[in-house]
Amino acid sequence: MRLLQIFLIIIFIFNLNLLKANEIQTENKIAKNLRCLICQGQSVYDSDSEFALSLKLVISNKIDEGMTEEQIYDFLKSKYGEWILYDPVLSRNTYFLWLLPILIFFAGGVIIVRKFYIKKQS
Amino acid sequence: MASLIGSYSLSFGLLFSFFIIFFSIKNLKNSENLDKKIISFSFLQFFIVVISFLGLIVSFITSDFTNETVFNHSHTTKPLFYKISGTWGNHEGSLLLWLLVLTLFVLIFLLKSREQPKKYRIFTLLFQQIIIIGFFVFLIKTSSPFNFIFPAPKEGLGLNPILQDPALAIHPPILYLGYVGSSIIFSSALAAMVTTYVSKEWAKHIKQWVLISWIFLTLGILLGSIWAYYELGWGGFWFWDPVENVSLMPWFALTTLLHCIIVLEKKGILASWAMILSIATFALSMSGTFLVRSGILNSVHTFANDPERGLFILIFLFLLIFLSIFIFFFFHSNKEKIEINFSWLSKETSILVNNWFMMYFLSVVLIGTIYPIFLEVLTSNKISVGPPFYNKLMLPFLIPFLFAMAIGPRLKWIKSDIQDKLYMFILLIVSFLISALIIKEFDVSFLINTILVSSAFFLFFVTLRDFFIKKFKNLSQNIAHFGFSLLILSILLNNFFSTEVITNLKIGETFKSEKFSINFVNVDQENGKNFKSIVGKFNVQHPDGSIDVLNPELRIYNQPNIVTSEADIKTNFFTDKFITMNYVQNQEYFNIRYQVKPLMIWIWISVIILSFAGLLSILKKRYEI
Repeated sequence: MRLLQIFLIIIFIFNLNLLKANEIQTENKIAKNLRCLICQGQSVYDSDSEFALSLKLVISNKIDEGMTEEQIYDFLKSKYGEWILYDPVLSRNTYFLWLLPILIFFAGGVIIVRKFYIKKQS
Repeated sequence: MASLIGSYSLSFGLLFSFFIIFFSIKNLKNSENLDKKIISFSFLQFFIVVISFLGLIVSFITSDFTNETVFNHSHTTKPLFYKISGTWGNHEGSLLLWLLVLTLFVLIFLLKSREQPKKYRIFTLLFQQIIIIGFFVFLIKTSSPFNFIFPAPKEGLGLNPILQDPALAIHPPILYLGYVGSSIIFSSALAAMVTTYVSKEWAKHIKQWVLISWIFLTLGILLGSIWAYYELGWGGFWFWDPVENVSLMPWFALTTLLHCIIVLEKKGILASWAMILSIATFALSMSGTFLVRSGILNSVHTFANDPERGLFILIFLFLLIFLSIFIFFFFHSNKEKIEINFSWLSKETSILVNNWFMMYFLSVVLIGTIYPIFLEVLTSNKISVGPPFYNKLMLPFLIPFLFAMAIGPRLKWIKSDIQDKLYMFILLIVSFLISALIIKEFDVSFLINTILVSSAFFLFFVTLRDFFIKKFKNLSQNIAHFGFSLLILSILLNNFFSTEVITNLKIGETFKSEKFSINFVNVDQENGKNFKSIVGKFNVQHPDGSIDVLNPELRIYNQPNIVTSEADIKTNFFTDKFITMNYVQNQEYFNIRYQVKPLMIWIWISVIILSFAGLLSILKKRYEI
């Protein structure tokens, strides 16, 4: 049981690490995280549509103006809605989205342990 | 004429379902053996669906535009190959193909299950017939491929050019073989529950079907991925697009089942879980079809969307799920005296860990795919869930998963020790050092990347070593895990080391960077059968003086009038060089996208290795574990 706990904690820490890790501020990285609104399932970065091209320009301008990545996302979000962000922000709307899989993971672990490893002793 | 024959045989085919059901139920009560008539009727049903399908193919070949499907999706100037593949490159035709494979598989099932109990075979057939009838009705009522147009149009509307491609011609049939194979598993699981035949013998028998479906599903996904890579022009092969996800979910479920069924076969436990997985796999395949066909999803695959069709599939799906839940709770008696006598460190545990993580990955993809739909319906907020979401939730979990994949197969049933601890430890250190060396120059979250890559390397080395130590023992399993390590390694390294240049060039201009220069030499005009193309010639010069000549194309198709950009890719074992060009409006510039993608071909090779492992496992009569 202890082993499992340590194991899970480690996983969790890695997870947090990764959440924080995305800090490279390049235009490309931002463009990769944006949906090309007029395309079907393509990011702004991958698309050559006029919308994507003009959005890339907007991003590079905003970077020149000194905006941070987060500010640029916020700016675009207020302009086009959350639909444009491929990386949904953790908010009231998305708690379930982010946490449900993790919950399922833990629930699965608990079920397996209880069903196969604890009964044995009783 | 061909259409007419097709149309009649389709309705006729439905009639056979009722004969089969009638004789099956009669056969249940009397006689010991399976009535030969049932097999004959199943064959006739298959045969008549083949006729119907041929009817559609002939209509496509002869460009018979009195047929609505042909009119909507074909054109006289289309090359013959794509006229034929256009048969299933649309909603109606692809459903007819589903039906064809359904009737084929049920026939094969009947022929290949001679050693199984009669009652079980008949019930499987009955459940399969329910699905078959559902598809017949769906086809005839909402999506008939044989609708008549009068007066006949002179010319068809043509097939979307991006679908005119060899990989995409065979992608749907292969994928369907996987999907439909899961329907056999579904029916068979229900039949096994009804006849209380859920046992080691059943597991042994159904595993062949699990493997077959798994292989086809794997190859089907691979083909779609390869196509996306060279055809969509951005050099990626997986975008976590909802429709890609929809094919990945049954794959996860099948892979879980594949592992779970081994425990059922060898130890007689996990029976209920195997039932749930069998049902879930098929439900996921069906709901995938529902999501794609109903047009709820925003994707390149939604070539036909019609709420009526979506509703039909949804109702049908719910009926099947209710039926299976009913059978599960009322017929499936969990007789297995759960003799849980395995310890923490055992093969049982390792397979449970596999199932646990697989279910987690499945739930990430499932939630990521359908959550935005629910949110939009409930709150009218539209959000996108893209690659960053999946990377964040899946990559960290991949690390323990890969380690478990390396250690699990080395464990014995019931109770075990980790053998060769010293060797394993050395391999771990070696993997870590290699990974650290590879990642070193890149400061992007160094730690997690190193650990991720080293876990993949660890699996790689452990499985590689096992080839020499275990020789032919557990060969297919070892090949599969080896293939998976190779897959993850190539994806990760490809991701880290891909470089890309996007620039605008005029003819004659040269783009220079530290590592290479791209010289835009000239453009040529060429004519294809149903398109004109502009072919660019680019010389890419590398620091060592070697020159690659790349010829990306712009194709202007005649009908529908669409411009597509065809990438040119130079592939070798180490790296892919990928170039596309696009026309920039009202200027003499072309937009050039040049990418260097290391280990690209190994992504494909490793998936082929995976499928090969599955094939090997089928061919080997005695499954070793």
